Amino acid sequence: MNLPFLVSDKWYDIRDLGNLSGAILDQLDKVLPYGLVYVIAILIGFIASFLIFVLPTQLFLGVLGERKIIGRIQSRYGPNRVGPFGTLQPIADALKLIQKEALIPTAADRWVMLIAPIVFVAPAVLLFAVLPFGPNMVIADVPVSLIYFLAVSSLPVLGAFMAGWSANNKYSLYGAMRIVAMAISYEVPLVMSLLGVALLSSTLSLQGMVFWQKDVHLWMIFLQPIAFAVYFICVSAELNRTPADIAEAESEIVAGYLTEYSGMQWGLFYGMDIGYALAAAAFASTVFLGGWSMWGLEEYVPSWLIFAVKTQLFYLLFLWTRGTLPRLRIDQLMAFAWKFLLPLALLNLLIVATEKVIWTQEELGDGIVFLFAPINIVAAAVLVYAWAKVNGYRPENTPKKPRMVKDATGYIPASGGGR
Amino acid sequence: MTSAIKSEPFILNIGPQHPSTHGVFRVKVTVDGERILDAEMVMGYLHRSMEKLAEERTYTQNIPFTDRTDYLSSMSNNLGYCLAVEKLAGIDVPDRGQAIRVIMAELQRLASHCMAVGAFANDTGAWQTPVMWAFREREKILDLFEMTAGARLTCNYMRIGGVAFDLPKDFVPMARDLMKTFPAFIDDIDGMLTENEIFLVRTRGVAVISPELAVNGSLAGPMLRGSGIAWDIRKADPYCGYEKYDFDIPIGYQGDSFDRFIVRLEEMRQSVRIVQQALDALPGGPHSTQVPLALRPPAGEAYARVEGPRGELGYYVVSDEGPSPYRFHIRPPSFINLSVLKEMTVGGSVADAIVALGSVDIVVGEIDR
Amino acid sequence: MPTRWLTGHETAEAIEDLVPGSVARSTGVACYLKPEMLVEACHALRDDSDGLDLVHLTNLCAVDYWSHFEVVYHLQSFYKNQFATLKVDVQGRDKPAIPSVVPVWHGAWMQECEAYDLFGIVFEGHPNLHRILLWDGYPGWPLRKDFLSMPGGLQPGLNEFAGTARREAPPVRLVE
Repeated sequence: MNLPFLVSDKWYDIRDLGNLSGAILDQLDKVLPYGLVYVIAILIGFIASFLIFVLPTQLFLGVLGERKIIGRIQSRYGPNRVGPFGTLQPIADALKLIQKEALIPTAADRWVMLIAPIVFVAPAVLLFAVLPFGPNMVIADVPVSLIYFLAVSSLPVLGAFMAGWSANNKYSLYGAMRIVAMAISYEVPLVMSLLGVALLSSTLSLQGMVFWQKDVHLWMIFLQPIAFAVYFICVSAELNRTPADIAEAESEIVAGYLTEYSGMQWGLFYGMDIGYALAAAAFASTVFLGGWSMWGLEEYVPSWLIFAVKTQLFYLLFLWTRGTLPRLRIDQLMAFAWKFLLPLALLNLLIVATEKVIWTQEELGDGIVFLFAPINIVAAAVLVYAWAKVNGYRPENTPKKPRMVKDATGYIPASGGGR
Repeated sequence: MTSAIKSEPFILNIGPQHPSTHGVFRVKVTVDGERILDAEMVMGYLHRSMEKLAEERTYTQNIPFTDRTDYLSSMSNNLGYCLAVEKLAGIDVPDRGQAIRVIMAELQRLASHCMAVGAFANDTGAWQTPVMWAFREREKILDLFEMTAGARLTCNYMRIGGVAFDLPKDFVPMARDLMKTFPAFIDDIDGMLTENEIFLVRTRGVAVISPELAVNGSLAGPMLRGSGIAWDIRKADPYCGYEKYDFDIPIGYQGDSFDRFIVRLEEMRQSVRIVQQALDALPGGPHSTQVPLALRPPAGEAYARVEGPRGELGYYVVSDEGPSPYRFHIRPPSFINLSVLKEMTVGGSVADAIVALGSVDIVVGEIDR
Repeated sequence: MPTRWLTGHETAEAIEDLVPGSVARSTGVACYLKPEMLVEACHALRDDSDGLDLVHLTNLCAVDYWSHFEVVYHLQSFYKNQFATLKVDVQGRDKPAIPSVVPVWHGAWMQECEAYDLFGIVFEGHPNLHRILLWDGYPGWPLRKDFLSMPGGLQPGLNEFAGTARREAPPVRLVE
């Protein structure tokens, strides 16, 4: 592949680890049978992505983020005893969970309950296969990797549903039903929002999208602000993060589909929740934030590092919402998906299609995106505000201070309160 | 609503072990999907029969019991009981004792409302952040209690005829400092929750109590005021010299969960005002009158009430000239406030029921006694 | 202006005007109603917004006086800032019963349950009278003065203050 920028293809060039693995594979190809190299290639890819990505994130954002940053938001310290600055806390947690007995209730459906965590975990690993870490660093450069990603990321719902159904607990059942209802509803605006992105970049390949954003020197988030917002909201609903964590709503249905799980079975669910959030963050930084490209910086800094930093900054957004927002009710969430996000995503699609037609019909250059970006940002602001008004958003009608009276005189009717 | 899909209602036990019942309290709800058809309360898991125990102990020995009914507002409970006994026995309290009582009762209201506001936000799903912020501020108040009474939660500070000890030397400046910083915390919570659209849609119009129901259901405190009824015993029937302090009663508009929440928030601001005034005008003199340890009030009965954090906290004491009360009855506000729980929850969803329960601000120690 | 605590005589006069013949007697503290006229008198009291306006049932509890039980109702008015005490004598220790005021005040629902639970007073007409704090089948009624001599043989932890004398004789005289 003829690289359009100055990353050498020497094996020691760590700016693109694909060079190293390519060199290893070339050498192996000479001594090993043909098929085995593919297996080894995949193993190398997974190990590399684990080392680069999952390990630092699980260790440093898993604990310093999920627990320490939220701890700071909540004005407490978070874990700070195990290891330096509490960094070994997840290992201690995992050891504790492994020691604990994984209880299966008598009335539960034993086999389904045992299989459910595995069904939940497996897709998380598959998701990382198509994410590009650098110009050559992608395990499986599928031409339709966008569709692959969307398809695989819907699979864990099955695991969660199995978990909720098999436990034979009413709270688990609530969680299962809620997660299925929510996943189905939120998949629609999610796909609609990504359709606009695919239309604009004329590709379904994630790697292709990164190259497109690199070529036009503008990230997709500026061209598609609505799509970005819709994606963020939908993905936090699908991942069960607040404000949409109704499937494991702690204060309502105890722990939702996780209620009857204990030990490492629960730990798998919990750990993979973070795994899916990371995958979603990585996907968002690929599609919307330019992936491994950074306006030329990738020529000096390893591209996978840029990608990891972007992903983890995006992951901070999840933590931030989790630490601050209350939870919506299920009917409000459904209404939000169907009445607000879906029409907005469709309108966005209309705008994108128009722009794409103008772009191709008039044979304009790439510079036109710098005209589209402000148009789209203004359109996004106007559309969100207008559609909220149409849907009955009236913040001015709600008094947020109580009435103050001097004397205890009994009932005082609320006149002019406006409610 | 008719549907082609046949569904049958089933019973869901919310509690006794549930994160949102604030203790061992159980609501048996009959649900059709997410919609609640019926709700039945089951309580008594924490019943200690304090009213019977109190008949076996002297008047002074009963004060620690009152700590343990509503363990989140022990000072107010002490105060209510002491007022009832003082009314029965005709004991006067010196000015300094009364001012200290007011300071303690208002600080207790602040601490208790911190807990109420934080736990309510937790029930709506704000993942522990408001409750942690509220705990941070509550700790500072509990520090003051520890400094004065020696205990943080079950203070056992009030005595019949005054308070147990005079204020320590550092108390007044520390309390003054705390009251300077406290409004900032209330504004933080205010900005974080009342300006939050999600919080608004979760609480506005949820668990509405009409004014008629509020009066008929014997509600008290923020539940009553949230429905727009201006009633505060500190104003209506001042005790401990509350008539000397300048404060307002916040009342709500339509009696939903949000109204009860903002009423509690505003009450915290008013409490800060009262504490500041009381600290400024703290009189000298003795903090307590001498009362015989084995007090034998004349035969008769007395009902005294204070405005506790959860509402009208009444103590009904009957004496037979013996050393211990013949009958000792507590009017527990959160127990009686729960009598409208069914009206609040039926027709809503499970999530609304949790919000309704959170807006009542129950303390199970007080419900079960 | 502090609350006006109505004497029993004042309350009795007002109730006599509303429902003649419903007052049994009155003392300085409380007005004693006849049990059979209780619900009618309470209805009239609650709806009498021009008179005493006692709309809010604050507190309901029972007291055991050996010879009889008293059920105490504390009522208050918000508009007029008044407070009144009503009482009803309940005779008989085997199956004491009085009418329930739940049709009048919804707030009596749980408090009557509690009084039934701890005293065994049956409130006739209560929609769901059950043991609210103790479990079904609990032996005896704990807040009765003779609870400790009842079958079940529950013994107190301390008995030096209460005195055994009290469990045998009813010494209470109310001051007028």
